[in-house]
Amino acid sequence: MDDDDVREVVEQELTVAFRAEYGGEPLRIQSEAYGYPTGDSLKMLLFQYYMSDLAIRDGSGREEYVINEIDLLRWNSANDDGTIERTYKVLLPEGEYGDLSFGLGVKPTLNAIDPNNFPADYVLNENEFWGAQTRYVFAKIEANALLEEDGRFDTGLTYHMGSDSLYTRISLQQPFTVRDGANSRITVVVDVLDALSKNGETLDITDPAKQAVHGGNQAVANGVWKRLSESFRLEVD
Amino acid sequence: MRRLGYILLLCWLSCADDPGSGAEFAAILHPADNPPTEAGIRVGRHLFFDPALSADSTISCASCHRPELAFTDGKKTAVGIGGRPGVRNTLGLTNVGYFHHPLFWDGRAESLEAQALHPIHTPHEMGGSWPEVIRRLSDDPAYVARFRSAFGAATIDSVLVGRALAQFQRSLISRDSKYDRVQRGEARYTPAEQLGHALFFDLGDDAAGPYANLPTAECAHCHTPPHFTNQGYENNGLDEADDLNAFSDPGRGAISQNVYDNGRFRTPGLRNVALTAPYMHDGRFATLEEVVDHYNSGGHYAENRSPNVHPLALDAEQKSALVAFLHTLTDTAFVQAAVTSSEDPR
Repeated sequence: MDDDDVREVVEQELTVAFRAEYGGEPLRIQSEAYGYPTGDSLKMLLFQYYMSDLAIRDGSGREEYVINEIDLLRWNSANDDGTIERTYKVLLPEGEYGDLSFGLGVKPTLNAIDPNNFPADYVLNENEFWGAQTRYVFAKIEANALLEEDGRFDTGLTYHMGSDSLYTRISLQQPFTVRDGANSRITVVVDVLDALSKNGETLDITDPAKQAVHGGNQAVANGVWKRLSESFRLEVD
Repeated sequence: MRRLGYILLLCWLSCADDPGSGAEFAAILHPADNPPTEAGIRVGRHLFFDPALSADSTISCASCHRPELAFTDGKKTAVGIGGRPGVRNTLGLTNVGYFHHPLFWDGRAESLEAQALHPIHTPHEMGGSWPEVIRRLSDDPAYVARFRSAFGAATIDSVLVGRALAQFQRSLISRDSKYDRVQRGEARYTPAEQLGHALFFDLGDDAAGPYANLPTAECAHCHTPPHFTNQGYENNGLDEADDLNAFSDPGRGAISQNVYDNGRFRTPGLRNVALTAPYMHDGRFATLEEVVDHYNSGGHYAENRSPNVHPLALDAEQKSALVAFLHTLTDTAFVQAAVTSSEDPR
Protein backbone atom coordinates (compact mmCIF):
# COMPACT_ATOMS: atom_id res chain seq x y z
CA MET A 1 0.00 0.00 0.00
CA ASP A 2 1.25 3.45 -0.89
CA ASP A 3 1.84 5.59 2.20
CA ASP A 4 0.08 8.42 0.40
CA ASP A 5 -3.15 6.44 0.64
CA VAL A 6 -3.12 6.49 4.44
CA ARG A 7 -4.82 9.65 5.62
CA GLU A 8 -5.58 10.41 9.22
CA VAL A 9 -9.27 10.48 9.98
CA VAL A 10 -10.04 13.21 12.49
CA GLU A 11 -13.14 15.05 13.59
CA GLN A 12 -13.83 17.91 11.21
CA GLU A 13 -16.40 20.65 11.21
CA LEU A 14 -18.25 20.82 7.95
CA THR A 15 -20.95 23.38 7.36
CA VAL A 16 -23.46 22.65 4.67
CA ALA A 17 -25.66 25.60 3.80
CA PHE A 18 -28.96 24.79 2.14
CA ARG A 19 -30.19 27.69 0.07
CA ALA A 20 -33.64 27.79 -1.43
CA GLU A 21 -34.22 30.12 -4.32
CA TYR A 22 -37.01 31.27 -6.55
CA GLY A 23 -35.91 32.33 -10.01
CA GLY A 24 -32.29 32.57 -8.91
CA GLU A 25 -32.93 34.77 -5.88
CA PRO A 26 -33.04 33.67 -2.23
CA LEU A 27 -36.50 32.36 -1.42
CA ARG A 28 -38.73 34.71 0.52
CA ILE A 29 -41.80 33.23 2.12
CA GLN A 30 -44.89 35.41 1.60
CA SER A 31 -43.06 38.70 1.39
CA GLU A 32 -42.28 38.48 -2.34
CA ALA A 33 -44.75 38.27 -5.20
CA TYR A 34 -42.99 36.09 -7.74
CA GLY A 35 -43.59 36.07 -11.44
CA TYR A 36 -44.50 32.82 -13.16
CA PRO A 37 -44.00 31.83 -16.80
CA THR A 38 -47.74 31.70 -17.48
CA GLY A 39 -47.83 35.44 -16.78
CA ASP A 40 -49.37 34.96 -13.36
CA SER A 41 -47.75 35.55 -10.00
CA LEU A 42 -47.60 33.74 -6.71
CA LYS A 43 -46.53 34.04 -3.11
CA MET A 44 -44.74 31.09 -1.56
CA LEU A 45 -46.00 29.84 1.80
CA LEU A 46 -44.04 26.65 2.25
CA PHE A 47 -41.14 24.79 0.75
CA GLN A 48 -39.61 21.77 2.41
CA TYR A 49 -37.88 18.51 1.65
CA TYR A 50 -36.46 15.55 3.49
CA MET A 51 -32.89 14.57 2.79
CA SER A 52 -31.44 11.13 3.55
CA ASP A 53 -27.85 9.96 3.91
CA LEU A 54 -26.08 13.20 3.14
CA ALA A 55 -22.58 12.06 2.16
CA ILE A 56 -19.40 13.31 0.62
CA ARG A 57 -16.93 11.31 -1.47
CA ASP A 58 -13.22 11.92 -1.59
CA GLY A 59 -11.43 13.11 -4.68
CA SER A 60 -10.39 9.60 -5.66
CA GLY A 61 -14.02 8.56 -5.65
CA ARG A 62 -13.20 5.54 -3.49
CA GLU A 63 -14.27 6.61 0.00
CA GLU A 64 -17.70 7.91 0.95
CA TYR A 65 -18.45 9.48 4.31
CA VAL A 66 -22.06 9.75 5.47
CA ILE A 67 -22.42 12.92 7.52
CA ASN A 68 -26.14 12.92 8.29
CA GLU A 69 -28.78 10.21 8.07
CA ILE A 70 -31.99 12.22 7.84
CA ASP A 71 -33.00 15.85 7.95
CA LEU A 72 -35.89 18.10 7.05
CA LEU A 73 -35.18 21.44 5.41
CA ARG A 74 -38.17 23.72 5.80
CA TRP A 75 -38.96 27.30 4.81
CA ASN A 76 -42.38 28.35 6.08
CA SER A 77 -42.05 31.76 7.69
CA ALA A 78 -41.44 35.24 6.38
CA ASN A 79 -38.83 35.43 9.11
CA ASP A 80 -36.87 32.59 7.49
CA ASP A 81 -33.66 33.34 5.72
CA GLY A 82 -33.28 31.80 2.29
CA THR A 83 -30.36 29.79 3.65
CA ILE A 84 -30.50 27.19 6.39
CA GLU A 85 -27.13 26.12 7.77
CA ARG A 86 -26.20 22.83 9.35
CA THR A 87 -22.79 22.29 10.92
CA TYR A 88 -21.73 18.67 11.20
CA LYS A 89 -18.89 17.23 13.23
CA VAL A 90 -17.75 14.22 11.29
CA LEU A 91 -14.75 11.91 11.14
CA LEU A 92 -13.01 12.72 7.89
CA PRO A 93 -9.50 12.90 6.55
CA GLU A 94 -8.27 16.29 5.44
CA GLY A 95 -8.11 16.61 1.71
CA GLU A 96 -9.90 17.01 -1.55
CA TYR A 97 -13.45 15.88 -2.09
CA GLY A 98 -15.33 15.78 -5.32
CA ASP A 99 -18.91 14.86 -4.69
CA LEU A 100 -21.78 15.54 -2.31
CA SER A 101 -24.77 13.27 -2.49
CA PHE A 102 -28.05 12.70 -0.71
CA GLY A 103 -31.35 11.02 -1.17
CA LEU A 104 -34.20 13.40 -1.90
CA GLY A 105 -36.91 12.15 0.41
CA VAL A 106 -36.96 9.58 3.20
CA LYS A 107 -34.92 6.51 2.31
CA PRO A 108 -36.94 3.28 2.08
CA THR A 109 -35.49 1.77 5.26
CA LEU A 110 -36.67 4.76 7.28
CA ASN A 111 -39.83 5.21 5.26
CA ALA A 112 -40.88 1.76 6.43
CA ILE A 113 -40.59 2.62 10.13
CA ASP A 114 -43.53 3.78 12.21
CA PRO A 115 -42.76 7.34 13.36
CA ASN A 116 -44.01 6.42 16.81
CA ASN A 117 -40.81 4.43 17.21
CA PHE A 118 -38.92 7.72 17.30
CA PRO A 119 -38.95 10.42 19.98
CA ALA A 120 -41.76 12.92 19.61
CA ASP A 121 -39.34 15.68 18.61
CA TYR A 122 -37.36 13.60 16.10
CA VAL A 123 -37.14 14.95 12.59
CA LEU A 124 -39.36 12.10 11.39
CA ASN A 125 -42.04 13.20 13.84
CA GLU A 126 -42.66 16.62 12.30
CA ASN A 127 -46.18 15.51 11.34
CA GLU A 128 -45.32 15.08 7.69
CA PHE A 129 -47.33 11.90 7.32
CA TRP A 130 -49.76 10.77 4.69
CA GLY A 131 -51.89 9.08 7.32
CA ALA A 132 -51.83 7.08 10.51
CA GLN A 133 -50.23 4.03 8.94
CA THR A 134 -48.78 5.45 5.77
CA ARG A 135 -45.46 7.16 5.83
CA TYR A 136 -43.78 10.38 5.03
CA VAL A 137 -44.49 13.28 2.74
CA PHE A 138 -41.02 13.80 1.23
CA ALA A 139 -41.43 17.32 -0.06
CA LYS A 140 -44.02 20.08 -0.10
CA ILE A 141 -44.48 23.20 -2.15
CA GLU A 142 -47.36 25.47 -1.16
CA ALA A 143 -48.21 28.87 -2.57
CA ASN A 144 -51.10 31.19 -3.22
CA ALA A 145 -51.39 32.40 -6.79
CA LEU A 146 -52.81 35.53 -8.32
CA LEU A 147 -54.53 34.33 -11.49
CA GLU A 148 -56.98 37.15 -12.10
CA GLU A 149 -56.58 40.89 -12.23
CA ASP A 150 -58.15 41.43 -8.84
CA GLY A 151 -54.98 41.68 -6.78
CA ARG A 152 -55.90 38.61 -4.77
CA PHE A 153 -53.57 35.69 -4.22
CA ASP A 154 -56.52 33.41 -3.75
CA THR A 155 -55.74 30.26 -5.69
CA GLY A 156 -54.01 27.68 -3.55
CA LEU A 157 -51.22 25.59 -5.01
CA THR A 158 -50.25 22.56 -2.96
CA TYR A 159 -47.83 19.92 -4.15
CA HIS A 160 -47.20 17.18 -1.59
CA MET A 161 -45.03 14.33 -2.79
CA GLY A 162 -43.54 11.19 -1.33
CA SER A 163 -43.29 7.47 -1.95
CA ASP A 164 -40.54 4.88 -2.23
CA SER A 165 -40.82 5.06 -5.99
CA LEU A 166 -40.13 8.80 -5.96
CA TYR A 167 -37.08 8.55 -3.70
CA THR A 168 -34.16 9.88 -5.72
CA ARG A 169 -30.43 9.80 -5.06
CA ILE A 170 -28.81 13.06 -6.08
CA SER A 171 -25.09 13.44 -6.70
CA LEU A 172 -23.54 16.87 -7.07
CA GLN A 173 -20.00 16.93 -8.46
CA GLN A 174 -17.87 19.87 -7.50
CA PRO A 175 -14.34 19.81 -6.00
CA PHE A 176 -13.99 21.14 -2.47
CA THR A 177 -11.43 20.91 0.28
CA VAL A 178 -11.69 19.88 3.91
CA ARG A 179 -8.81 21.18 6.05
CA ASP A 180 -7.97 20.13 9.59
CA GLY A 181 -9.11 22.66 12.13
CA ALA A 182 -10.99 24.78 9.62
CA ASN A 183 -14.74 24.91 9.32
CA SER A 184 -15.26 24.00 5.69
CA ARG A 185 -18.40 25.31 4.05
CA ILE A 186 -20.32 24.23 0.99
CA THR A 187 -23.77 25.23 -0.23
CA VAL A 188 -26.55 23.11 -1.66
CA VAL A 189 -28.86 25.21 -3.81
CA VAL A 190 -32.30 24.38 -5.11
CA ASP A 191 -34.71 26.61 -7.00
CA VAL A 192 -38.44 26.21 -6.33
CA LEU A 193 -39.32 27.75 -9.67
CA ASP A 194 -37.39 24.96 -11.37
CA ALA A 195 -39.70 22.43 -9.75
CA LEU A 196 -42.64 24.12 -11.44
CA SER A 197 -41.05 25.24 -14.66
CA LYS A 198 -37.79 23.98 -16.12
CA ASN A 199 -36.34 22.95 -19.47
CA GLY A 200 -39.36 24.15 -21.39
CA GLU A 201 -41.81 22.26 -19.18
CA THR A 202 -44.11 24.60 -17.30
CA LEU A 203 -46.77 23.38 -14.94
CA ASP A 204 -49.96 25.18 -15.91
CA ILE A 205 -51.02 26.57 -12.54
CA THR A 206 -54.18 28.00 -14.10
CA ASP A 207 -55.47 24.47 -14.70
CA PRO A 208 -57.45 23.39 -11.60
CA ALA A 209 -56.40 19.80 -12.23
CA LYS A 210 -52.79 20.84 -11.74
CA GLN A 211 -53.14 22.99 -8.65
CA ALA A 212 -52.86 20.22 -6.07
CA VAL A 213 -51.06 16.95 -5.54
CA HIS A 214 -52.06 15.20 -2.33
CA GLY A 215 -51.21 11.59 -2.95
CA GLY A 216 -53.18 11.21 -6.15
CA ASN A 217 -52.53 13.08 -9.37
CA GLN A 218 -49.21 11.30 -9.74
CA ALA A 219 -48.59 12.46 -13.29
CA VAL A 220 -48.26 15.99 -11.95
CA ALA A 221 -46.31 14.75 -8.92
CA ASN A 222 -43.79 12.92 -11.09
CA GLY A 223 -43.16 16.02 -13.17
CA VAL A 224 -42.70 18.33 -10.20
CA TRP A 225 -40.49 15.78 -8.46
CA LYS A 226 -38.30 15.22 -11.51
CA ARG A 227 -37.76 18.91 -12.04
CA LEU A 228 -37.13 19.46 -8.34
CA SER A 229 -34.52 16.70 -8.18
CA GLU A 230 -32.78 18.09 -11.26
CA SER A 231 -32.62 21.57 -9.78
CA PHE A 232 -30.05 20.92 -7.06
CA ARG A 233 -26.54 22.22 -7.49
CA LEU A 234 -23.48 22.59 -5.29
CA GLU A 235 -21.60 25.80 -4.62
CA VAL A 236 -18.21 25.89 -2.98
CA ASP A 237 -17.28 28.98 -1.01
CA MET B 1 -64.81 5.31 46.92
CA ARG B 2 -62.90 8.51 46.34
CA ARG B 3 -59.73 6.81 47.49
CA LEU B 4 -60.37 4.00 45.01
CA GLY B 5 -60.80 6.52 42.26
CA TYR B 6 -57.49 8.14 43.14
CA ILE B 7 -55.72 4.78 43.16
CA LEU B 8 -57.20 3.98 39.76
CA LEU B 9 -55.98 7.33 38.46
CA LEU B 10 -52.45 6.66 39.65
CA CYS B 11 -52.51 3.23 38.01
CA TRP B 12 -53.80 4.83 34.83
CA LEU B 13 -51.12 7.49 34.92
CA SER B 14 -48.32 5.08 35.71
CA CYS B 15 -49.31 2.79 32.85
CA ALA B 16 -50.11 5.53 30.40
CA ASP B 17 -46.69 5.90 28.82
CA ASP B 18 -45.35 2.42 29.32
CA PRO B 19 -43.75 1.28 26.08
CA GLY B 20 -44.44 -2.27 27.06
CA SER B 21 -48.16 -1.70 27.13
CA GLY B 22 -48.44 -1.28 23.39
CA ALA B 23 -47.91 2.46 23.08
CA GLU B 24 -49.10 3.86 19.78
CA PHE B 25 -47.35 7.16 20.26
CA ALA B 26 -43.79 8.34 20.10
CA ALA B 27 -42.00 8.56 23.41
CA ILE B 28 -43.29 11.48 25.41
CA LEU B 29 -40.84 14.30 25.92
CA HIS B 30 -39.74 14.96 29.45
CA PRO B 31 -37.25 17.79 29.98
CA ALA B 32 -33.99 16.60 31.48
CA ASP B 33 -34.48 18.94 34.44
CA ASN B 34 -38.04 17.81 35.06
CA PRO B 35 -38.32 14.04 34.90
CA PRO B 36 -41.73 12.75 35.95
CA THR B 37 -42.23 11.19 39.35
CA GLU B 38 -45.34 9.98 41.06
CA ALA B 39 -44.86 12.65 43.73
CA GLY B 40 -44.32 15.34 41.10
CA ILE B 41 -47.47 14.42 39.21
CA ARG B 42 -49.38 14.33 42.47
CA VAL B 43 -48.34 17.82 43.57
CA GLY B 44 -49.03 19.10 40.07
CA ARG B 45 -52.49 17.65 40.28
CA HIS B 46 -53.11 19.32 43.65
CA LEU B 47 -52.03 22.64 42.20
CA PHE B 48 -54.15 22.18 39.06
CA PHE B 49 -57.34 21.88 41.06
CA ASP B 50 -56.45 24.42 43.76
CA PRO B 51 -58.10 27.90 43.58
CA ALA B 52 -55.39 29.23 45.87
CA LEU B 53 -53.41 29.97 42.75
CA SER B 54 -55.78 32.81 41.82
CA ALA B 55 -55.77 36.27 43.35
CA ASP B 56 -59.08 35.84 45.17
CA SER B 57 -58.92 32.06 45.56
CA THR B 58 -61.98 31.57 43.38
CA ILE B 59 -60.65 29.81 40.32
CA SER B 60 -58.16 27.09 39.61
CA CYS B 61 -56.61 25.80 36.40
CA ALA B 62 -59.51 23.35 36.33
CA SER B 63 -62.05 26.17 36.25
CA CYS B 64 -61.20 26.65 32.59
CA HIS B 65 -59.71 23.21 31.97
CA ARG B 66 -62.63 21.09 33.16
CA PRO B 67 -61.93 17.36 33.05
CA GLU B 68 -65.44 16.44 31.89
CA LEU B 69 -64.96 18.66 28.84
CA ALA B 70 -61.57 17.17 27.98
CA PHE B 71 -60.00 20.03 29.91
CA THR B 72 -61.85 22.88 28.18
CA ASP B 73 -64.63 25.06 29.60
CA GLY B 74 -67.50 25.10 27.12
CA LYS B 75 -67.27 28.89 26.76
CA LYS B 76 -66.53 30.93 23.66
CA THR B 77 -63.66 32.58 25.45
CA ALA B 78 -62.28 31.93 28.88
CA VAL B 79 -63.58 33.76 31.94
CA GLY B 80 -61.16 34.68 34.70
CA ILE B 81 -61.49 35.96 38.27
CA GLY B 82 -64.39 38.25 38.94
CA GLY B 83 -65.96 37.27 35.64
CA ARG B 84 -63.26 39.05 33.67
CA PRO B 85 -63.58 38.05 30.02
CA GLY B 86 -60.65 36.43 28.33
CA VAL B 87 -59.75 36.92 24.72
CA ARG B 88 -59.38 33.38 23.46
CA ASN B 89 -61.05 30.01 23.62
CA THR B 90 -59.62 27.56 26.14
CA LEU B 91 -57.50 24.89 24.51
CA GLY B 92 -57.86 21.29 25.65
CA LEU B 93 -55.01 19.44 27.28
CA THR B 94 -55.42 15.98 25.78
CA ASN B 95 -51.97 14.57 24.96
CA VAL B 96 -50.42 18.00 25.41
CA GLY B 97 -47.24 16.37 26.68
CA TYR B 98 -46.47 15.11 23.20
CA PHE B 99 -46.28 18.58 21.71
CA HIS B 100 -42.78 19.90 21.33
CA HIS B 101 -43.50 23.11 19.48
CA PRO B 102 -44.63 26.29 21.30
CA LEU B 103 -47.98 26.29 23.07
CA PHE B 104 -51.07 28.54 23.32
CA TRP B 105 -53.03 29.66 20.27
CA ASP B 106 -50.22 32.04 19.39
CA GLY B 107 -47.26 29.93 20.46
CA ARG B 108 -46.06 32.28 23.16
CA ALA B 109 -44.89 29.54 25.54
CA GLU B 110 -41.99 27.34 24.58
CA SER B 111 -42.87 24.51 26.93
CA LEU B 112 -45.44 23.29 29.43
CA GLU B 113 -43.17 24.50 32.20
CA ALA B 114 -43.23 27.99 30.69
CA GLN B 115 -46.92 27.83 29.83
CA ALA B 116 -47.91 27.03 33.40
CA LEU B 117 -46.45 30.33 34.61
CA HIS B 118 -48.65 32.55 32.43
CA PRO B 119 -52.20 32.33 33.85
CA ILE B 120 -51.18 33.07 37.47
CA HIS B 121 -50.48 36.73 36.80
CA THR B 122 -52.57 37.35 33.71
CA PRO B 123 -55.24 39.87 34.82
CA HIS B 124 -58.13 38.20 32.97
CA GLU B 125 -57.16 34.73 34.11
CA MET B 126 -56.04 34.17 37.72
CA GLY B 127 -55.14 37.79 38.17
CA GLY B 128 -52.67 37.29 40.98
CA SER B 129 -48.99 37.52 41.58
CA TRP B 130 -46.28 34.96 42.00
CA PRO B 131 -45.03 36.31 45.36
CA GLU B 132 -48.52 35.95 46.81
CA VAL B 133 -49.00 32.46 45.38
CA ILE B 134 -45.63 31.32 46.67
CA ARG B 135 -46.43 32.79 50.09
CA ARG B 136 -49.70 30.88 50.26
CA LEU B 137 -48.13 27.61 49.20
CA SER B 138 -45.19 28.06 51.55
CA ASP B 139 -47.55 28.72 54.44
CA ASP B 140 -49.32 25.43 53.81
CA PRO B 141 -47.42 22.59 55.52
CA ALA B 142 -49.06 20.04 53.26
CA TYR B 143 -47.70 21.75 50.14
CA VAL B 144 -44.27 22.13 51.71
CA ALA B 145 -44.23 18.40 52.36
CA ARG B 146 -45.47 17.60 48.86
CA PHE B 147 -42.86 19.77 47.16
CA ARG B 148 -40.15 18.30 49.37
CA SER B 149 -41.30 14.83 48.43
CA ALA B 150 -41.48 15.65 44.75
CA PHE B 151 -38.41 17.81 44.28
CA GLY B 152 -36.42 17.48 47.49
CA ALA B 153 -36.73 21.22 47.85
CA ALA B 154 -37.25 23.08 51.10
CA THR B 155 -38.26 26.24 49.27
CA ILE B 156 -41.19 26.49 46.91
CA ASP B 157 -40.78 28.79 43.92
CA SER B 158 -42.48 29.46 40.62
CA VAL B 159 -40.10 27.19 38.74
CA LEU B 160 -41.13 24.21 40.84
CA VAL B 161 -44.80 25.10 40.54
CA GLY B 162 -44.40 25.20 36.77
CA ARG B 163 -42.58 21.89 36.76
CA ALA B 164 -45.22 20.20 38.90
CA LEU B 165 -48.06 21.47 36.74
CA ALA B 166 -46.19 20.38 33.63
CA GLN B 167 -45.69 16.88 35.03
CA PHE B 168 -49.38 16.59 35.75
CA GLN B 169 -50.35 17.79 32.27
CA ARG B 170 -47.95 15.35 30.63
CA SER B 171 -49.83 12.57 32.38
CA LEU B 172 -53.05 13.44 30.51
CA ILE B 173 -52.77 10.79 27.84
CA SER B 174 -55.65 9.68 25.67
CA ARG B 175 -55.29 6.68 23.40
CA ASP B 176 -58.47 4.68 23.74
CA SER B 177 -60.90 6.50 21.50
CA LYS B 178 -62.90 4.52 18.99
CA TYR B 179 -60.49 5.79 16.37
CA ASP B 180 -57.64 4.18 18.33
CA ARG B 181 -59.56 0.95 18.74
CA VAL B 182 -60.28 0.81 15.03
CA GLN B 183 -56.59 1.39 14.34
CA ARG B 184 -55.77 -1.51 16.65
CA GLY B 185 -58.36 -3.75 15.02
CA GLU B 186 -60.51 -3.84 18.15
CA ALA B 187 -63.53 -2.00 16.76
CA ARG B 188 -65.21 -1.15 13.49
CA TYR B 189 -66.47 2.14 12.18
CA THR B 190 -70.09 2.58 11.31
CA PRO B 191 -70.61 3.29 7.59
CA ALA B 192 -70.89 7.01 8.32
CA GLU B 193 -67.70 7.03 10.42
CA GLN B 194 -65.91 5.07 7.70
CA LEU B 195 -66.97 7.61 5.09
CA GLY B 196 -65.89 10.43 7.38
CA HIS B 197 -62.51 8.76 7.87
CA ALA B 198 -62.09 8.53 4.10
CA LEU B 199 -62.94 12.20 3.70
CA PHE B 200 -60.71 13.30 6.56
CA PHE B 201 -57.70 11.46 5.15
CA ASP B 202 -58.32 12.28 1.48
CA LEU B 203 -58.73 8.66 0.45
CA GLY B 204 -60.50 9.90 -2.65
CA ASP B 205 -57.05 10.79 -3.96
CA ASP B 206 -56.42 7.11 -4.65
CA ALA B 207 -57.84 6.68 -8.13
CA ALA B 208 -57.66 2.90 -7.82
CA GLY B 209 -59.05 2.71 -4.28
CA PRO B 210 -62.55 2.17 -2.96
CA TYR B 211 -63.10 5.89 -2.47
CA ALA B 212 -61.99 7.04 -5.90
CA ASN B 213 -63.73 10.26 -6.89
CA LEU B 214 -64.81 10.99 -3.32
CA PRO B 215 -64.14 14.65 -2.49
CA THR B 216 -61.16 15.29 -0.26
CA ALA B 217 -61.76 17.24 2.92
CA GLU B 218 -58.07 18.12 3.33
CA CYS B 219 -58.25 17.87 7.14
CA ALA B 220 -55.16 15.76 7.81
CA HIS B 221 -52.73 18.19 6.20
CA CYS B 222 -52.91 20.18 9.41
CA HIS B 223 -54.76 17.85 11.78
CA THR B 224 -52.19 15.12 11.40
CA PRO B 225 -52.46 11.91 13.41
CA PRO B 226 -51.73 10.60 15.94
CA HIS B 227 -52.57 13.78 17.87
CA PHE B 228 -54.39 15.40 14.99
CA THR B 229 -52.28 18.52 14.87
CA ASN B 230 -49.20 19.52 12.93
CA GLN B 231 -48.36 21.91 15.79
CA GLY B 232 -48.08 24.65 13.19
CA TYR B 233 -49.80 28.00 12.72
CA GLU B 234 -52.32 28.48 9.98
CA ASN B 235 -54.78 31.03 8.72
CA ASN B 236 -57.79 28.81 8.13
CA GLY B 237 -59.87 31.48 6.46
CA LEU B 238 -61.95 32.67 9.40
CA ASP B 239 -61.85 36.36 8.53
CA GLU B 240 -61.73 38.34 5.31
CA ALA B 241 -58.60 40.47 5.19
CA ASP B 242 -57.38 42.26 2.11
CA ASP B 243 -54.85 43.86 4.42
CA LEU B 244 -52.95 41.59 6.77
CA ASN B 245 -53.03 44.37 9.36
CA ALA B 246 -56.81 44.17 9.45
CA PHE B 247 -57.14 41.14 11.71
CA SER B 248 -58.74 42.08 15.01
CA ASP B 249 -56.66 39.39 16.69
CA PRO B 250 -53.27 39.02 15.01
CA GLY B 251 -52.65 35.65 16.64
CA ARG B 252 -49.17 34.34 15.89
CA GLY B 253 -48.22 37.67 14.37
CA ALA B 254 -48.32 39.36 17.76
CA ILE B 255 -45.63 36.98 18.98
CA SER B 256 -43.46 36.73 15.88
CA GLN B 257 -43.84 40.45 15.13
CA ASN B 258 -44.27 39.40 11.54
CA VAL B 259 -47.26 40.80 9.68
CA TYR B 260 -47.40 37.69 7.49
CA ASP B 261 -48.25 35.67 10.59
CA ASN B 262 -51.25 37.86 11.39
CA GLY B 263 -54.44 35.84 11.45
CA ARG B 264 -52.56 32.60 11.99
CA PHE B 265 -53.29 30.42 15.01
CA ARG B 266 -51.94 27.17 16.28
CA THR B 267 -53.59 24.08 14.86
CA PRO B 268 -55.37 22.49 17.83
CA GLY B 269 -55.29 18.75 18.35
CA LEU B 270 -58.62 17.08 17.66
CA ARG B 271 -58.58 14.29 20.20
CA ASN B 272 -61.82 14.57 22.20
CA VAL B 273 -62.88 17.40 19.90
CA ALA B 274 -66.57 16.51 20.25
CA LEU B 275 -66.27 17.53 23.92
CA THR B 276 -64.46 20.80 23.40
CA ALA B 277 -67.08 23.08 21.80
CA PRO B 278 -67.20 25.89 20.96
CA TYR B 279 -64.48 26.01 18.34
CA MET B 280 -61.75 28.22 16.90
CA HIS B 281 -59.53 30.65 18.77
CA ASP B 282 -62.50 32.87 19.55
CA GLY B 283 -65.10 30.13 19.98
CA ARG B 284 -67.16 31.45 17.08
CA PHE B 285 -68.50 28.07 16.01
CA ALA B 286 -70.83 26.39 18.46
CA THR B 287 -70.86 22.96 16.86
CA LEU B 288 -68.77 20.64 14.76
CA GLU B 289 -71.38 21.01 12.04
CA GLU B 290 -70.62 24.72 11.88
CA VAL B 291 -66.92 23.97 11.69
CA VAL B 292 -67.41 21.58 8.79
CA ASP B 293 -69.64 24.11 7.04
CA HIS B 294 -66.87 26.67 7.37
CA TYR B 295 -64.24 24.44 5.79
CA ASN B 296 -66.69 23.28 3.13
CA SER B 297 -67.13 26.91 2.11
CA GLY B 298 -63.41 27.45 1.68
CA GLY B 299 -63.35 30.23 4.21
CA HIS B 300 -62.58 33.88 3.68
CA TYR B 301 -59.79 35.51 1.75
CA ALA B 302 -56.48 36.65 3.08
CA GLU B 303 -53.26 36.22 1.19
CA ASN B 304 -51.85 34.02 3.94
CA ARG B 305 -54.87 31.71 4.09
CA SER B 306 -53.64 28.14 4.00
CA PRO B 307 -53.83 26.89 0.41
CA ASN B 308 -55.20 23.67 1.84
CA VAL B 309 -58.37 25.58 2.78
CA HIS B 310 -60.57 25.85 -0.28
CA PRO B 311 -64.15 24.98 -1.22
CA LEU B 312 -64.66 21.25 -0.71
CA ALA B 313 -68.02 20.56 -2.36
CA LEU B 314 -69.08 18.10 0.34
CA ASP B 315 -72.75 17.18 0.27
CA ALA B 316 -74.96 16.85 3.34
CA GLU B 317 -74.22 13.16 3.82
CA GLN B 318 -70.50 13.74 3.54
CA LYS B 319 -70.54 16.62 6.00
CA SER B 320 -72.48 14.51 8.44
CA ALA B 321 -70.02 11.67 7.96
CA LEU B 322 -67.12 13.94 8.73
CA VAL B 323 -68.75 14.93 12.01
CA ALA B 324 -69.38 11.26 12.77
CA PHE B 325 -65.70 10.55 12.29
CA LEU B 326 -64.72 13.42 14.57
CA HIS B 327 -66.86 11.86 17.29
CA THR B 328 -64.74 8.71 17.07
CA LEU B 329 -61.87 10.75 18.55
CA THR B 330 -63.68 10.88 21.90
CA ASP B 331 -61.96 8.82 24.57
CA THR B 332 -64.61 8.19 27.20
CA ALA B 333 -62.23 6.27 29.46
CA PHE B 334 -59.78 9.18 29.48
CA VAL B 335 -62.46 11.67 30.39
CA GLN B 336 -64.02 9.44 33.03
CA ALA B 337 -60.69 8.80 34.70
CA ALA B 338 -59.97 12.53 34.72
CA VAL B 339 -63.39 13.28 36.21
CA THR B 340 -62.98 10.61 38.85
CA SER B 341 -59.62 11.96 39.88
CA SER B 342 -60.94 15.50 40.05
CA GLU B 343 -63.58 14.51 42.57
CA ASP B 344 -60.91 14.01 45.19
CA PRO B 345 -58.13 16.44 44.39
CA ARG B 346 -56.59 16.19 47.80
